[in-house]
Amino acid sequence: MKGYSTQAPRRVPSLLPLIAVAVGLVIFPFVFPFLDGTIDVADRILVWGLFGLGFDILFGYTGLLSFGQAAFFGAGGFTTAYLLAGNITSSTILALLAGMAVAAVLGVIIGLLSLRRSGIYFAMLTLAFGEMLFFLENSPLRQWTGGENGLPGVPKPNLPLGFTTIELHSALAIYAFIAVLFFVGFWLARRIIVSPFGMVLRAIRENVERAGAVGHDVLLYKLVAFVIAAVYGGLAGGLLGLLQGYMPPDAFYLETSSQLIIQTVIGGAGTLIGPLVGAAIWLYLYQILQIVPGLGGAWKLILGLVFVILVTGLRQGIVGGILLVWRRRRARGGQAEAGAVQPIDDAPPPPRVKPDYTKPPILEARDLSKHYGGLLAVDKVSFSVVEGETRAVIGPNGAGKSTFFKMLAGAVQATSGDILFAGAPITGLDAARICQLGVVRSFQINQIFPHLTVRENITIAALARRRGKFRPDMLSRIDAVPGLDDLVRDTLAAVSLTARGDRRASDLAYGEKRRLEIALALATSPRVLLLDEPTAGMSPAERSDTVRLLKRIAAAMTIVIVEHDMDVVFELADRVTVLSEGRKIAEGEPVEIQNNPVVRAAYLGGETEYEPA
Amino acid sequence: MPEGGKKTLNRRHVLKAGAAASLLPFIHTGRAFAETPIGSWPAGVSGDTAFIGISTPLTGPYSADGADHLKGYQLAIEQLNNGGGIVSKLPHLSGKGVLGKKVIYKYADSQTQPNPAVQAQTTFINQDKAIMITGCLSSAVAVAVEKLAQREQVLNMVGCSGANETTGADCVRYGFRNQPSAYMADLALAPVLAKHLGRNLKAAYLVPDYVYGHSVFGTLSEAMDKKYGWKVAAKQIAPLGTNNFSSYLLNIANSGADVFINVTFGADAVSSTKQAKQFGLMDKMKQVQPNISAFLPDGVGAELMQDTYGTFDFWWTQSYKDPMAKIFVDDFMKKFNYNPRWAAHIGYTQMMFWAEAVERAKSFNPVKVIKMLESGFKLDLPGGETYYRAFDHQAVRAVPVVLGKKPSEMKSKDDYFEILDLVPGEDVMPPKGFQGCKLGPYI
Amino acid sequence: MVTWALLWAQLFNGLVLGALLVLVAMGLTIVFGTLGIVNFAHGALYMIGAYAGYVAFLHTQSFILAMVSGAAVVLLIGVILERGLIRHYYARPPEDQILVTFGLAIVLIEIVRLIFGGISRRTDEPIWGNGVVNLGLLYYPRYQVEVLGIVTLVLIALYLVLYRTKIGLIVRAGIEDPLMVNILGINVTRTFLLVFGLGAMAAGFAGVINAPIVSVDPDMGAPILIQCFVVIVIGGVGSFWGAVAGGLIAGETLSLTTMVAPDYAQVMLFAAMAFILIVRPQGLFGVKTRQ
Repeated sequence: MKGYSTQAPRRVPSLLPLIAVAVGLVIFPFVFPFLDGTIDVADRILVWGLFGLGFDILFGYTGLLSFGQAAFFGAGGFTTAYLLAGNITSSTILALLAGMAVAAVLGVIIGLLSLRRSGIYFAMLTLAFGEMLFFLENSPLRQWTGGENGLPGVPKPNLPLGFTTIELHSALAIYAFIAVLFFVGFWLARRIIVSPFGMVLRAIRENVERAGAVGHDVLLYKLVAFVIAAVYGGLAGGLLGLLQGYMPPDAFYLETSSQLIIQTVIGGAGTLIGPLVGAAIWLYLYQILQIVPGLGGAWKLILGLVFVILVTGLRQGIVGGILLVWRRRRARGGQAEAGAVQPIDDAPPPPRVKPDYTKPPILEARDLSKHYGGLLAVDKVSFSVVEGETRAVIGPNGAGKSTFFKMLAGAVQATSGDILFAGAPITGLDAARICQLGVVRSFQINQIFPHLTVRENITIAALARRRGKFRPDMLSRIDAVPGLDDLVRDTLAAVSLTARGDRRASDLAYGEKRRLEIALALATSPRVLLLDEPTAGMSPAERSDTVRLLKRIAAAMTIVIVEHDMDVVFELADRVTVLSEGRKIAEGEPVEIQNNPVVRAAYLGGETEYEPA
Repeated sequence: MPEGGKKTLNRRHVLKAGAAASLLPFIHTGRAFAETPIGSWPAGVSGDTAFIGISTPLTGPYSADGADHLKGYQLAIEQLNNGGGIVSKLPHLSGKGVLGKKVIYKYADSQTQPNPAVQAQTTFINQDKAIMITGCLSSAVAVAVEKLAQREQVLNMVGCSGANETTGADCVRYGFRNQPSAYMADLALAPVLAKHLGRNLKAAYLVPDYVYGHSVFGTLSEAMDKKYGWKVAAKQIAPLGTNNFSSYLLNIANSGADVFINVTFGADAVSSTKQAKQFGLMDKMKQVQPNISAFLPDGVGAELMQDTYGTFDFWWTQSYKDPMAKIFVDDFMKKFNYNPRWAAHIGYTQMMFWAEAVERAKSFNPVKVIKMLESGFKLDLPGGETYYRAFDHQAVRAVPVVLGKKPSEMKSKDDYFEILDLVPGEDVMPPKGFQGCKLGPYI
Repeated sequence: MVTWALLWAQLFNGLVLGALLVLVAMGLTIVFGTLGIVNFAHGALYMIGAYAGYVAFLHTQSFILAMVSGAAVVLLIGVILERGLIRHYYARPPEDQILVTFGLAIVLIEIVRLIFGGISRRTDEPIWGNGVVNLGLLYYPRYQVEVLGIVTLVLIALYLVLYRTKIGLIVRAGIEDPLMVNILGINVTRTFLLVFGLGAMAAGFAGVINAPIVSVDPDMGAPILIQCFVVIVIGGVGSFWGAVAGGLIAGETLSLTTMVAPDYAQVMLFAAMAFILIVRPQGLFGVKTRQ
């Protein structure tokens, strides 16, 4: 392949961050006192950092901004504290696990209720549920939680070793205990992030619709990420109670959720270590600003201003900013690759074989309709496609092509009618499930994962094929997914993007992005590929390249294509279906359609520019 | 596990030992010698200063009270170091610091939340070697800091906290509270209510839904019902942070009660008082607020406070009759340009009481100071004669019961209340063993 | 004990409570609907409105002037914020928008605390709002009955602006399809400024109206903001009628719960929201396509 490396770079997660964190944790308590810090503050920073690890997986990596994390911090913390202070168990570990379990259950419940919405709605819902939990703690559960007084009398942590139990009493011992837990938490979080599961989470952050369209069960992934964050929160809450011998009710306050968010943003979301850095800065500044004479309550104003400036100016936060500079410097030293657009493979496409129309259809629509209120977008359209066929769907603007297409892909639910794939009904299934069956859609407007590399983009789609709708393989490695490398390599080669594999998708030229868009669909190894205007916005040269590409794809699978450009349609399609005003008005081979007076009339009536063949 | 396994490790030694120490087991088996340091003593007073850690809310719902509280401390510390104020009236104070050491302090914004308060005080103890910690403003913060004090073995002169738990269920050896508890305030209020309002009345309670609110309701309603034949006509429990009480007030308006007892506090008290007026409850019922928020009259105006019965920790017009109170109020006025509220009074009083106890004990050793305070020596302070009980560390002192003045009777802009009675502390103290208080060990 | 009279009283009370919530929530929902921004600083603007009203009333003793200046001051602040900060955020992800308005809220609250201190500021109802009125089945504060009327008038005015004027057409078009507004070639910059200012003004006005009822302190905006979130989530974010319906449902939920289980009022409010979300995730009047 023209000398480009076809091998994906090794994806072994670097040990460097782990070593750095371990060293940092060991020297921190000895260095911090020189900065006027104390072990107690160090403990608190780690607790917030641990809390933040889970939140970063949720917010930084999955893109879900929750304002209700206090609910889990509090629920886990009070469970742990209640079990230990009430002497129900004397085992610190058991109590912490119980706290995490309660947080997890709560995470499932709140997650199911709030994850059906995203963005702003999700933020408001989690906030409301967090407040609800606060009221529950404060009033009806007062008997167990101590209401606004919290739970005092949490004993110091102990560690059962089988033959003996170590009591952790000194400040350093407690620090060591929390630091070890933080390290384990950090290691786990990193494993999760670099796992196939973590890759899907990032896909959800980048483009949730596309993540679903390539066959991932987005809701389930979100829910698991939410529960992971909840468990981290529960553990952190439990540690807070252990650390100070007292479980404070403010664990449930809205301020707790907001402080977590502020720390994560200041430190840098999507870096795992960012929340820890943010916590260090927040707690340190809180302490330092207080000492400034005459400042008094204004410390909060200053921190608020710093926060607004950081959100506005340094979006990646402090750690993110450092990483960015570091990566840029490395990139400059490394590949200085030319920015020329990689031409598409110019090998001639295989000769077209006529599909066998006697076989039963692979994709079929029966009387498919869609109403938007009183508007009839698609009116009882039936059509069937046989295996291997390339079918074009054309029609003037507003003919209902897009709606029809979206129904086939499961992106829009039909009002009535049926869709069958290989003889089985798929009506009402969501895009992810339909994709898993083998029908996938590429989009008219590019729907890529902009901040990920080209290879990562394709990997995301390939993962859906290799792993199915959902798999909680949080601790495995991406290169351990069987057949993934081959699929990614082949797909990259198929769209001639091999040399662009390590580019950020958003840095590609338009034509390349368009090919990536198609590749995302291809990488799911579909049986039926639904292409929505693949040549939209292309230059004539790019267009002919793409047609050649599509011809090669067409040799391998069934294609349904919506296209405005009639040259493309007539060059590719075996048969053409014409929609107008929501109805099917004609169907046949390209030559028949070209000469069909009804079609001509429809296009003229629709006042659309008709590009003659 | 290395041989022996039992070794006493001092944190500071560990720190000095450096990285190698991190390999040692973190085992703690109590203190080896009787002469070992206790908490921050003697490290905290090895120089020529004694450090006090103060945490009060400067942001959040109680920021006004917190700022007042802090001013009380600041005035007291200034006078302890430089003389003036009541210093010369107290038998052992010199006006040249405490035991010759200059009193220094830092304060931190507790945001009315336990966690920041504990964090700040822990830092003051560990880093600044605070010999005494103080400040507060909610029972939650008080309970949290009490536990911290006991664990760290640093004396805690509790600031504002009215909850029974502070010297009840959650009392500790290292904590002393000056403010009368809700229990004391309610018992002080009860006979005054019976005397001025009468017996066999029906009362409607508006109770904020947290431990403090419920304990005030419990004590006051029991006292009124058992001794004076009152009945509870309505008990409306409103969640914390309610800003519109109209539905509760409607229920109260319909309850047929003669007396409206409003237990809410802070901003909630401002809202509920304004709304009670709008619902016409002021005309229909007598008003009682068992614990009046210090700045409530400023928020709602004298018209709405008139004829309201209630209690305070301290009201500045006590200075008309009490020379000690007069010195405090005049000095405060001079320095800060307004009459001190009760939060300032508690800050001031607790600092002075602590200094006197240290001077008497001739040592900053917390155990000696605690024993001195437990000895029950009496001091004449702005709030009247005061001493601490040995078995629960609650101060015994007078509780002012007040009545809101009519605007026309006010002599100055913050002359909101008339003091009906200064109920002697001895009459209203909770019995020994109340809430099962166990103070815990000295060491 | 629940009597019919009390039931009616609480139903009416729920209506007033709801009306006050609608008033605050309306600005929030309009801004979201058009600009796609959930303004976490809305509660802080409401608080500033109350303070502006307080200052105006202190100096003029006229409640009408207090209402006007409360709305005007916050309108001005809203315009400054939009020009200086918010407009840089239209193209950024919703999470960034939430974060910046959230940070802004902290800054605004602490600035007010710095200027006015933490003490609750005394604000009385206007002279024409003194006393109680006999509504047959119940006595109710005159001011709050009048507030019900004021809110109704404001809502009618807002309705007319939204549904009978060109600017309203643009705002509604924005709610239904933000892209369309761009395509129509409307001066988006000015329109957005206008809408953000309008939302801020609504918050400020609500602050003045509420000032005689609640405690006027720097933290007064936080609880009401959370309740407003509940209101607009119930009603469907961005919907005029949704905010009205959501506010009334929230008001009645709070009011009626206090009759049987006063301590569960807040919890019930959130439970009502959860229930509606399960049954109808987009809210009562929400448009499904807008995620």
